[in-house]
Amino acid sequence: MNKFSYILFAVVLLNSCKLDDQLDPNNPSVSSVTNNATVNQLQNLVTGLEVRSKAYIGTAANAYGVFGREIWYFNRTDARYNQFWLGQGGRKPNSTFFGVDGAFTAAYQTIKQGNLLISALANTSSVTDVQKHAYLGFAKTIQGYQYIIPANSQYENGIRIEVSDEQNPGPFVKYQPALTAIRKVLEDGYAELKQAGTVLPFTLSSGYAGFNTPDGLIKVNRALVARVAIYQKDWQGALDALSLSFFNIDGSLTAGPAHTFSAPPDTYNPLFYVLNASPATITVVHPSLIENALPGDLRVTSKFYKRTSVLTNTQGDVPLSSQYQDNRWATNSAPITYIKNEELVLIYAEASAQLQQFDNAVKAINRIRTAAGLSAYTGERSTSALITEILFQRRYSLWYEPAGHRWVDLRRYDRLSEIPVAGDNGTAFTQMETPINELNWDLYSR
Amino acid sequence: MRSALAQSRQVTGKVISAADRQPLPGAIISVRGSDQKAVTDNDGKFSISAPANSTFVIRFIGFLDQEVKSTSSVLNVSLVENSSSLNEVVVTGLASSIKRSNLANAVSSISAKDLMGSTTPQTVDKALYGKLSGANIRANGGAPGGGLSVQLRGISSLQGASQPLYIIDGVYLNNNSLRNGKSNAIGIASPTQDDSQNRLADINPDDIENIEVLKGSSASAIYGTRANAGVIIITTKKGKAGKSRISFSQDVGIAKVQRYMGSADWDEAKIKLFFPAARQAEEIAKYNEAKSSGNIYDLEKILYGETPVITNSRLNISGGNERTTFYVSGNISSEGGVIKNTDFKRKSLRVNLDHKLNEWLNFSLNSNYLNTNSNRGVTGNGTASMGYTAAYIPNYFNPYPDAAGKYPNSPYSADNPLALRDKGKNNESINRFIESGSAVARIFQTDKSLLKLLVQGGVDYYAGQTFVYMPEDLQSQVAQANPGDLFIGKNNNINTNLQAFLVYTHKNNDFSFSSQLGSVYLKTKEDAIITRGRGLVAKQTTIPQAAVQEIFLQNKQEVEDFGLVAQQEVNYKDRIIGTVGVRFDKSTLNGDANKYYAFPKASLAINLTNFDFWKLDVVSQFKLRTAYGQTGGLATYGNVFSALNPVVNDGKIGSVLSTAAGNSAIKPERAGEIEFGTDLGLFNNRLSFEFTYYNKKVTDLIQDLNLSYSSGLLTKKVNAADLTNRGIELSVGGTPVSTQAFTWTSRLLFWRNRTKLTRLNIPSYLSGAFGTPYGTYLYKEGYSPTTIVGASETSSGVYTVWGDSQPDFETSLTNDFTFLKNYTLSFLLHWKKGGDNINTTLYNTDNGGTTVDWNEDYNNDGVPNGKDRPGKGGAGVYVQDASYLRLREVSLYYNVPLRGVDKWVSAVKVGISANNLFTVTKYKGYDPEVSNFGTQAINTGTDLFPYPSVKRYFLHFKFDF
Repeated sequence: MNKFSYILFAVVLLNSCKLDDQLDPNNPSVSSVTNNATVNQLQNLVTGLEVRSKAYIGTAANAYGVFGREIWYFNRTDARYNQFWLGQGGRKPNSTFFGVDGAFTAAYQTIKQGNLLISALANTSSVTDVQKHAYLGFAKTIQGYQYIIPANSQYENGIRIEVSDEQNPGPFVKYQPALTAIRKVLEDGYAELKQAGTVLPFTLSSGYAGFNTPDGLIKVNRALVARVAIYQKDWQGALDALSLSFFNIDGSLTAGPAHTFSAPPDTYNPLFYVLNASPATITVVHPSLIENALPGDLRVTSKFYKRTSVLTNTQGDVPLSSQYQDNRWATNSAPITYIKNEELVLIYAEASAQLQQFDNAVKAINRIRTAAGLSAYTGERSTSALITEILFQRRYSLWYEPAGHRWVDLRRYDRLSEIPVAGDNGTAFTQMETPINELNWDLYSR
Repeated sequence: MRSALAQSRQVTGKVISAADRQPLPGAIISVRGSDQKAVTDNDGKFSISAPANSTFVIRFIGFLDQEVKSTSSVLNVSLVENSSSLNEVVVTGLASSIKRSNLANAVSSISAKDLMGSTTPQTVDKALYGKLSGANIRANGGAPGGGLSVQLRGISSLQGASQPLYIIDGVYLNNNSLRNGKSNAIGIASPTQDDSQNRLADINPDDIENIEVLKGSSASAIYGTRANAGVIIITTKKGKAGKSRISFSQDVGIAKVQRYMGSADWDEAKIKLFFPAARQAEEIAKYNEAKSSGNIYDLEKILYGETPVITNSRLNISGGNERTTFYVSGNISSEGGVIKNTDFKRKSLRVNLDHKLNEWLNFSLNSNYLNTNSNRGVTGNGTASMGYTAAYIPNYFNPYPDAAGKYPNSPYSADNPLALRDKGKNNESINRFIESGSAVARIFQTDKSLLKLLVQGGVDYYAGQTFVYMPEDLQSQVAQANPGDLFIGKNNNINTNLQAFLVYTHKNNDFSFSSQLGSVYLKTKEDAIITRGRGLVAKQTTIPQAAVQEIFLQNKQEVEDFGLVAQQEVNYKDRIIGTVGVRFDKSTLNGDANKYYAFPKASLAINLTNFDFWKLDVVSQFKLRTAYGQTGGLATYGNVFSALNPVVNDGKIGSVLSTAAGNSAIKPERAGEIEFGTDLGLFNNRLSFEFTYYNKKVTDLIQDLNLSYSSGLLTKKVNAADLTNRGIELSVGGTPVSTQAFTWTSRLLFWRNRTKLTRLNIPSYLSGAFGTPYGTYLYKEGYSPTTIVGASETSSGVYTVWGDSQPDFETSLTNDFTFLKNYTLSFLLHWKKGGDNINTTLYNTDNGGTTVDWNEDYNNDGVPNGKDRPGKGGAGVYVQDASYLRLREVSLYYNVPLRGVDKWVSAVKVGISANNLFTVTKYKGYDPEVSNFGTQAINTGTDLFPYPSVKRYFLHFKFDF
């Protein structure tokens, strides 16, 4: 009786207890798109790629903007933005430096998303080969752009280029080899787009209005190559790339592809702040931009809003104040252009000046000066004088752009000492240190 | 003989419990030097024949023997509970209980008297403070309604909360904290900083008969895969056969803030030092105007200076007959906060029924409805929280609204703290049912054997609503593109469990055997959704009234566990008691949902005093015991998934790869604990000692493997670490004096724990709090993960060790004195020695110019402290010793003698008590007990503008009918 009932009981128990495999009730899985993805699923990944591709702004624009003293980032309650980002009291970047990882990780998460799209394409028959070229061309163009962001912050400490295997990321390469590799990624994207027919098989946001064809994306791709080329001091390469880009010396200076923003579940423009408000965090225009401005510069009046009251920040070593805030965004849904014709005109000016084509350089400079309400350039026609002028114009034309210019420009021309750090007891940085996660991974995987 | 008999007379009387004045049925009255014996009836009454001048001995299990000399014919006796009641039965498993004297583990029992006897606890976990050796209990802050962390025997998991499993009448209790969006509303966007209650707060402490605490794996092994952090078994009250009893009690109290931190004065020189040149003239003018008109404000006193009222009404009715007993209770409690517009309210209704259907079957049903409602205010981390904003406001700013009711904007902070207090809302409300049913069937019974089937099932269901509201006219909202922010959360949680056990007991001469075989099934389901509206119509608090409406989060979870249990116990004449057992568990939280993990256990207790060779009468118990057991700790929900998360761009839905890589090979964490101990009872157990040493090793701890940033992913959950907890627990208790006129019982507890990370298969890392500038936690082999490190960096990646959040030791002393027959005085002192906090509140008041000693210059370098400390002294300035000595509870009760009215009333008790009456500490904060990040395993002890802690004073009235 006893033994029998035990056995019976055990049998009943064991039969009743098969648990169902766990499926995520909240999200689809990765394997759902890497195994014969549908056109809709590919569209989801493309939209995902566009979303990832704008995530760097919140950190990159602010941190690189502060490093180049285009702005100060006032946080009422967290001194670290002043202590560390300004390098107060001689603080220097280290592998756990405060608040900068976001730009680095956002870029690589975009690259990863691009690789997921690429692997989905390799395993699907839902789209034609010509259509695949369009996806691949877009993915690689975006990847190329994203690599530039960490390459600029890490500089000679280098970045990893080969990252397709998450368990075995490739070695670090220094700035110039990194730029060479980035240019290769962009060239690959260009080659894909050339074979992509005339229509994109996917939909992009309104930020790509005017660029949402294979040909349009080629123009974006070439513009990005032009930016990389001047970092490489490949002046002729820059001019060549510009010729295939949307560069137009007489065209709208603001033309260019943009990141779009909107109300949730989309995200808001991360650079938008209500005028005259005193929120807990806000960026202010660095006072040197006002002090050094030429009289009548329309960029000063259009980009910098003069507040009714001074904004002050008492966090960190010294109290800071500025009367100006960013005036570029009419609403919190305003799109942010990530490369615009105004930059291409200035690239044209710079490459021309470097190649001693001074007429072209001055013509481009005057295009910018005229648009800013300034008189034509009357200074010396020499490479060095023109570069000084171009850097000055870039400072105002490309002020506080999403991936940062001023800091990178001054480093390119070995002028980091021009960064006005005395007023905030700060330090001019050359580059960020390799993040601890990268160092640790190499230790771990060794 | 004849003459003695001739002198004898009939003595009648009543035996009651000294603590609650309730009759004790079944007590034995004997007369010294005579064979006369009597047993009390259901009303505690007895009648006995005795010589005129006799000594009566009154005995009752669980109480101290009482000797009374009496010549009167009426004898009323009150018995004092024996604090070391070795004969009590301890619930130790899913289907088993054991006499304490035969127990091989140190299981702490908390009785109803321990919980509620002295003062009125807000929540069950708050009532455990200092009463439980081996427990590190810490409040997240002082908000009414709690928010508490309980860690038993150190740290059992490095992720999640490392909180014990709570079982109430067999039901797996949901002790989650609700996400509410508060941190987003006030500018931090960190779910771990929402400062919400843990849901144990819903339980009415007065319903609890007993709490058994299985502190480590050796005791809790039978609970298997969820028991790594220990198990707390709560048993509610039951009715007793006999006369129906009605008990009503009423508490009325007040609360006051424990202490103020103070704030620094201002003058022109300080303004010039503190503000940038562009602001100085304006500030000096404001200062001078305020000074000349005498309008200097103490924001702390304005914000935290309320004296709220606390009321607690409890009614319970119990009784029954031989076949059916019942216990019905109702509770309404309301507790205001020292911050205006904050409070905690609880309503509870319970029915417990037990019925004997026939000779072989009985069943019981426990049913509890609970409703709690708390307003917690906007405190904590957040640029728009009360404390945070106040820290940056100089005392010459007038925060009060003008005649039109408009609050002035604070130019110093994101908001005016008074406006936040009066307009900001942070509410949680819960409707909850906890239902359990069980049946016991005697399948087979002989003189020597019994086979029982025990079936038990339970449901814990709650529907929660959270409501966080920042109106559109708040300064911090006006600064937003869409002013006004509203979070409305709805949360449905249901835990269901079912278990069936066969228990076979068999007696064979000197041996008795008990075997059990059973299965356990648990399912937990959660469906949470939080909606958010921004850009609100004035005074409107529904989402359709918002310009920007979003689903802030939706989260669905469903988890199933299944386990099989087998256990064999052998008892040799109560001398040697051995147990072996094993539990096999599987869970959908594991990588492989159908893989069983085995959790074995074995224990041995030897009662030396029960052997024939033991002759030393003064030692009434001497037990040696040892136990070993293993338990598990489950992965967090979602660890196995590699998900594609939803995103929206320009109106189109997209999928992005989650940065957390799933791990389909994730296993449960596993703890194995060995425990040694001895229990010693002297003088008929009037004095008892308990000593326990344990060594608990937790392996396969789940860690975030930080992937290379360049991989495009951030983390992957891996089983990658081991740690040990070693500790001792000591208890000395007894009743040094017990006479009818004066009784003194006393208990001293002492415990300490040491944690060490013994294996870390991922690179050493820092995590927690706000990083190295202020202090963060070090995860490194050979160190305790509670180690606090921070600036300065001594070499690349290596930071100075500034402290350790784990206490050196804790000790508590409880004393009860009963005197003048009807008076009882009790107090509970709790001393925590060591354990450091990361005080980022101080960091902020330094930056805001308001720390009380800001203006002073301790190091005489010509720079005031408040300018010297931030960022210069390294993190050490903010890592502070959080030792304290606290009078947790003190009370004085008086049992009102009932002459003439005892027909209607059986007992009346009045009393006064206080909670946290004083705290001695050097810690520079509102309370050394604080956790900005809520209930987490390691990341506790960060101080960042918590709701200040309170002391509470009570008047108590209790009537028994």
